[in-house]
Amino acid sequence: MAATLCVKLLPKQGWLPITHSVRHGSKAVTRHRKPLHILRQKLLAVTQYVAPPRAAPPGAYPSLTEHFREETGLTLLMKRDLKKVFEDCRMIAVVQNNSCNADDMITLKHRLHKHGVAVKFFPNQVIRSFLSDSVYCNLAPLFVGPTALVVSKDPKAKEVLTVLRSSPQMTLLGGCIDDTLLSAQGVVGYSKLPSVTVVRGELVSGLAVMTSRTAALLQRHPAHLSALLRRYVEQRSPEGAPTAPEAT
Amino acid sequence: MAAPRKATVLLKAVKKITVQFCPFESNVRSTREFLSSVGSEKARATNMNCEVVSAVKHDKSEPVVEITYIDGERLLMKGAKLTASEMLSAFQSRCAAKDQQAKAGAKK
Repeated sequence: MAATLCVKLLPKQGWLPITHSVRHGSKAVTRHRKPLHILRQKLLAVTQYVAPPRAAPPGAYPSLTEHFREETGLTLLMKRDLKKVFEDCRMIAVVQNNSCNADDMITLKHRLHKHGVAVKFFPNQVIRSFLSDSVYCNLAPLFVGPTALVVSKDPKAKEVLTVLRSSPQMTLLGGCIDDTLLSAQGVVGYSKLPSVTVVRGELVSGLAVMTSRTAALLQRHPAHLSALLRRYVEQRSPEGAPTAPEAT
Repeated sequence: MAAPRKATVLLKAVKKITVQFCPFESNVRSTREFLSSVGSEKARATNMNCEVVSAVKHDKSEPVVEITYIDGERLLMKGAKLTASEMLSAFQSRCAAKDQQAKAGAKK
């Protein structure tokens, strides 16, 4: 077709047709897969789509390193609060509360406030990170689940126990009184202890009993004392001849 | 927490629940979670006669949950190697079975 066209339209020599026939040579749409031009092939090879590697789903593998999350301002604030609480209060009790009725909580807080005891709530994460730095690291396993801190400046274990007994759902887990870790039974025992003055009085009187008795004995007439000693020796050695030591 | 969300525990057939654990041990997490779900207001509201008693000890003993049903049956769960959801599912299946038995008995 092209040859016949050329013959008709090119009467003179060297005359090129203005209209360039496009459908000349190979066709664009073929039934077979047309081999690509080498340049096009190269371009396609270079710009081929490579899918991004799918990472494992987030929970599939445990993370190798514990990624350190920067502490938010709120956690820092709460840590400072906690630190102050631990420094000020002599008694800290850890309580698990299963029921968080607002009314019950208010009544409980009111009753404890009369004795100067406060109930504080802190998130477990904050408490655990604080405790791991401080001295009280052995309290850490207590803080699981819904917990509350019952703190007070003076160790008033008795009042705290009576109030907690009235609300059946608060379980006393343990406590720290005067930097001493106590279990639940320890806190109960502490509450049963008599006060410091009473104990001191008892101690002093116990020490003084023997000395007061000896003083009373010596203050009496020396003949009385020698008679007593003689009797004592006779009692101790009834068979031998009693040689009573003379009181000089 | 690992406690299941739809833990509306039915305590209708239960007379008493005793939970005993030692908080300074490391295997008490599931027992404590069980206690918190059973002792919550919602659960206790289903049956006001049921007592939930928690005993805190310090003798390195195993955490134990003892449940006494109204018809006298006792269920003992040792929570050292169990998860809270396992304990709750076992407990709830038993309770549901008891409930159905009671309802069938009442209908007859």
